[in-house]
Amino acid sequence: MTILTVRTIVSAVKPPYPYGDELVWQFLFVLKLSWFPLTVSTFALNLGAPGLQAAGVLSLFGALDRLGGLFIVTAVRWIGPLVTAVVVAGVAGTAITADLGARKIREELDALQVLGVDPVKNLVVPRFLALIVVTGLLDIFAIVFGLSAGIAAELLYHQSLGGFFATLFTNATTLDVLSSALMCTAFGGIIAIVCSYKGMSASGGAAGVGRAVNQAVVIALVSVFFFQFVVTSILFATNPELQSIR
Amino acid sequence: MIGWLDVPRNWLDSFGEIARFGARVAGLVLTGRAFRFFGEGLRQAGILIFGSAVIIWAFVLILGLQCGIQGAYFNRSIGAPSLAGLFSAYCDLREGVPYAFGYILAAKVGTGIVAELGAMRISDEIDALEVMGIQPVTFLAATRLLGAWIAIPFLYLVSIGVAYFASYFAVIQQVGDVSSGGYLLIFWMYQNPLDLFFSLTKGMVMSTVIVLVGCYYGYTASGGPVGVGTATAQSMVVNIILVHIIGMLGTFVFWGANPRAPIGG
Repeated sequence: MTILTVRTIVSAVKPPYPYGDELVWQFLFVLKLSWFPLTVSTFALNLGAPGLQAAGVLSLFGALDRLGGLFIVTAVRWIGPLVTAVVVAGVAGTAITADLGARKIREELDALQVLGVDPVKNLVVPRFLALIVVTGLLDIFAIVFGLSAGIAAELLYHQSLGGFFATLFTNATTLDVLSSALMCTAFGGIIAIVCSYKGMSASGGAAGVGRAVNQAVVIALVSVFFFQFVVTSILFATNPELQSIR
Repeated sequence: MIGWLDVPRNWLDSFGEIARFGARVAGLVLTGRAFRFFGEGLRQAGILIFGSAVIIWAFVLILGLQCGIQGAYFNRSIGAPSLAGLFSAYCDLREGVPYAFGYILAAKVGTGIVAELGAMRISDEIDALEVMGIQPVTFLAATRLLGAWIAIPFLYLVSIGVAYFASYFAVIQQVGDVSSGGYLLIFWMYQNPLDLFFSLTKGMVMSTVIVLVGCYYGYTASGGPVGVGTATAQSMVVNIILVHIIGMLGTFVFWGANPRAPIGG
């Protein structure tokens, strides 16, 4: 997988660039697959977990306007990137593995190589770049729908929204949103590499493709979760200004 | 090329069929007809435990660590680091573990079932079963559901323990704002056995749905090796949406009206 990562990055920057059309196609493909699961998932998760649970506790203190500050922690820093990664891995990553795995089983990849077409450059690179960009962009949608779930939670508790927005915007920093989006681009890269690798090394007929998809999504999810844990630890430890509430 | 509205339309289309198939399989288990193949059910439970337990617990461990550091830093930011136990008790027991369990179960077990049953369908093994006079739905789908119902409560309870340990580790050893005793006092104060039961219910509903969706997509796979891959990918899409919806509804039903926190009256 490390070799594939290096080869992908090298052939992405080295001219010629024959993958333009494929890149646009993959970009739209991932976007069309992911937008519906993403909106439903982020809204449901943010309404349930930080919305209702935290609002329940905060309403006991009579401090429901503090929900905005909590939503910076959960929706922007944590759940936004996490759910984006889970949806992209589960929806787009599995589609990539199934697609490449099917081509591998039908020996199309070998045929490409015989024709002198580099499969990494023409198949993996556009998927890699498309997933990096799309995952970063979808994170913005995840944050928007996460925050609208927060608004819904406030309305369920019959609160005015002024307090929510006040604490939300005083606590939001550029670093929060930026780190969230950058983390997601890295997730996109991880998912693309894992899923392409598993698809291109599928073997064993009909059962092989299914098994490749199974392994790809498990490896992608575990590595994304672990990567986020490491990044969050480093981010908090090195940026003390994130640790004060305003 | 797919259109912008294809995913929600397919989802609504297949939702009814999955519900009908799921009701049939669950009926076979509940009326006891699956117990004719009780040995196969036990074998499926064994496969679940030996094949998936370690990866499920590893995944939940990472989520517990994340709950720990997010809670510790959030509570430090509001000037109450000793209340980190409140955040991790809620995050682990009520929300985090059910979702993480659902994700990894959909990824490992759900897609695994689709790949397995899909391969059987493609190589005509399911038709062969029917010719031999064995009901394929009972033998393949209902026994898997039975195995899941046998094994998953225990896997789930151990997952909660793993997440507790991970949060403790992150809050006490990694961040270290609060003493062990102070953390555990708040941590145990903000949960009770009924919360554990609610959380287990949430996890069981999720895993039942995941197994049924996996069985449906595997059982109806078609179109050669490519079809198995596509069916596996599609089952993951449906599972992700369903896991989130079940999680949200569970929170509404169990904790929506009453936060069950030891604060005030």
